Amino acid sequence: MSADKRLPNGPYDRTPTEPLDPSGHAVRDEATQLPVPPGAGEVAQSANRTLWGDAWFRLRKNKLAIAGLIWIIFITTAAVTADLWVPKFFASPTSTEFASLEPPSAEHPFGTDRVGHDVFSRVVYGARVSLAVGILAVGISLVIGLILGAISGYYGGLTDSFVMRTADVFFAFPYTLFAVVLLAVLGPSYRNVFIAIGILGWPSIARVFRSSILSVKENEYTDAAHAMGASDFRIMFRHIMPNAVAPIIVYGTMSIGGAIIAEAALSFLGMGVQPPTPSWGLMLSDARSLMIPAPWLTIWPGFAILTTVLAFVLMGDGLRDALDVKLKD
Amino acid sequence: MAALLEVKDLKTHFFTRDGVVKAVDGVSFVLEEGHTLGIVGESGSGKSVTALSLMRLIPDPPGKIVGGEILLRGESVLEMDDEQVRALRGDRIAMIFQDPMTSLNPVFRVGHQIAEALRLHKNMDKKSADARAVEMLELVGLPNAADRAKDYPHQFSGGMRQRAMIAMALACDPDILIADEPTTALDVTIQAQILELMIELQQRTKAAIIMITHDLGVVADMADNVMVMYAGKQVEYGTADDVFYRPLHPYTWGLLDSLPRHDIDEKGQLCPIIGQPPSLIDIPPGCSFHPRCPHAKDVCRTRVPELVEIEPAHLSACHFSSDPAFRRAPVCAVDTEVK
Repeated sequence: MSADKRLPNGPYDRTPTEPLDPSGHAVRDEATQLPVPPGAGEVAQSANRTLWGDAWFRLRKNKLAIAGLIWIIFITTAAVTADLWVPKFFASPTSTEFASLEPPSAEHPFGTDRVGHDVFSRVVYGARVSLAVGILAVGISLVIGLILGAISGYYGGLTDSFVMRTADVFFAFPYTLFAVVLLAVLGPSYRNVFIAIGILGWPSIARVFRSSILSVKENEYTDAAHAMGASDFRIMFRHIMPNAVAPIIVYGTMSIGGAIIAEAALSFLGMGVQPPTPSWGLMLSDARSLMIPAPWLTIWPGFAILTTVLAFVLMGDGLRDALDVKLKD
Repeated sequence: MAALLEVKDLKTHFFTRDGVVKAVDGVSFVLEEGHTLGIVGESGSGKSVTALSLMRLIPDPPGKIVGGEILLRGESVLEMDDEQVRALRGDRIAMIFQDPMTSLNPVFRVGHQIAEALRLHKNMDKKSADARAVEMLELVGLPNAADRAKDYPHQFSGGMRQRAMIAMALACDPDILIADEPTTALDVTIQAQILELMIELQQRTKAAIIMITHDLGVVADMADNVMVMYAGKQVEYGTADDVFYRPLHPYTWGLLDSLPRHDIDEKGQLCPIIGQPPSLIDIPPGCSFHPRCPHAKDVCRTRVPELVEIEPAHLSACHFSSDPAFRRAPVCAVDTEVK
């Protein structure tokens, strides 16, 4: 094809009138205000920014989302590294050697509870449970929800009806009651909490993903992929999924907040994490009767739940804006 | 040797709740190597469904190819299993879609999308497929092809995207390129460039082209043969010269009269075809064009006209085409009121 020297620049040589941008303005260099030759300007401007790069660029401009992200990173770091510093400088979360119900002091920044635990230590270790349950439960929901949602949206028809009616059955039960029943069957434990929350979370994920796939499927690039000879499997996973996944990232992030709340609620009801494992919900449950004489017992775990859930929701909100290709600047 | 593509009495129907939509109802044509066939007609005349049927891309349900034969070099496309059809799509028959803004996948780099076709059909490794993708982009006249291959579709203009689509379609060196209204969504200046590019590339690659359009000007430039469709049926078929200069069917006359022209000295008046194309569920009895045809007689309302060869290689489906006196009248000479 090198035989024909005319082709590579052909269109621009032949018709210099081709508009350079949709409104027909000549492209000008931002710094010098000089016209940029066709092609060159567009290449410079596009300088290999990836879609994720663009999303990060937009996310960075959203202060609330960044605040959420910072808080998530802070809490996660504290929880992951807890073994390295909490027992050394404060106390082990399970040691009961301290006087009970001491108000916050230099030694016990968040005070102590009825049994003599250091509350600060338990709040930090409680983050492990909350984050782990949040992430693992949403992980389980995602695996089930994505597969069923994808099958449902892509194949439609009877398959779709079957999956969606099953989801409706799940929706028809009161959430907490269903979780309590599941845990009663499985037995209350740390592992079963996230299994239960995970199993209960899939219908929403499946619904969101299904509707997202339905809208992506209508695009011409799906037809183009068929016309190219790609298999159903390939079209589903390589062509449709990446386009349909943005709402899932958003919904998943927000669901982590929801799962943390669900864990706290279940532990509060005594169906979740069992003592002496520290959990925010469990701490609230223990502090119930002491709210007036020892408010620190309620305030700190409550604050931890509130801020962490809020951080995930803000982060999810920010991601929604950042991942929306329509807002492309 | 068998012709490159032979379509015999193709029937594609859609089975909907409201009834059977006869989108394509008995279409036949032959496409020779390296030739261009233009399919023209209004929206909803079955042009696109014909093209999609050739690649077996009709969504099933509700659509189904209920009859006819499609022979690609003598091989029956309708009898192939799914695997064989997939091997054919994109490799032997490739397609360009109407709207370049939505036919490239927004999450992949343009070069990657072209390379994907090559990797699917030609078993190329990533590196050589990528290199070939850049070559293809150069071939379709994209400046800085190596850099642009790394761009995402949203960084391309409409014309550039259509060039990329052409590059993608031609990457595997197909025997047949189906272009479904490839210029409809583009600016007029870009339209001419894209058509010119397709003509140039056809000469180089020797691919046969099926050009679907409602723009007769596009077909006049490119096509060897022209098929005019109305309500799922062929109403006229012949060489481009025959169809444009000696049209036989009143519907073709109507299409030509609706076209602005600068080469004949007329009053400068356009004569659109009055009325709407019929619903394909409820096709009028007799000749489906009769409610809109200014020449309709009683026979048109009751008897379906056959597609017959009036002149050598020039077919028309009108009861009166065999009458030498029944030829295209001067523009707007006839009263175009709906009868």
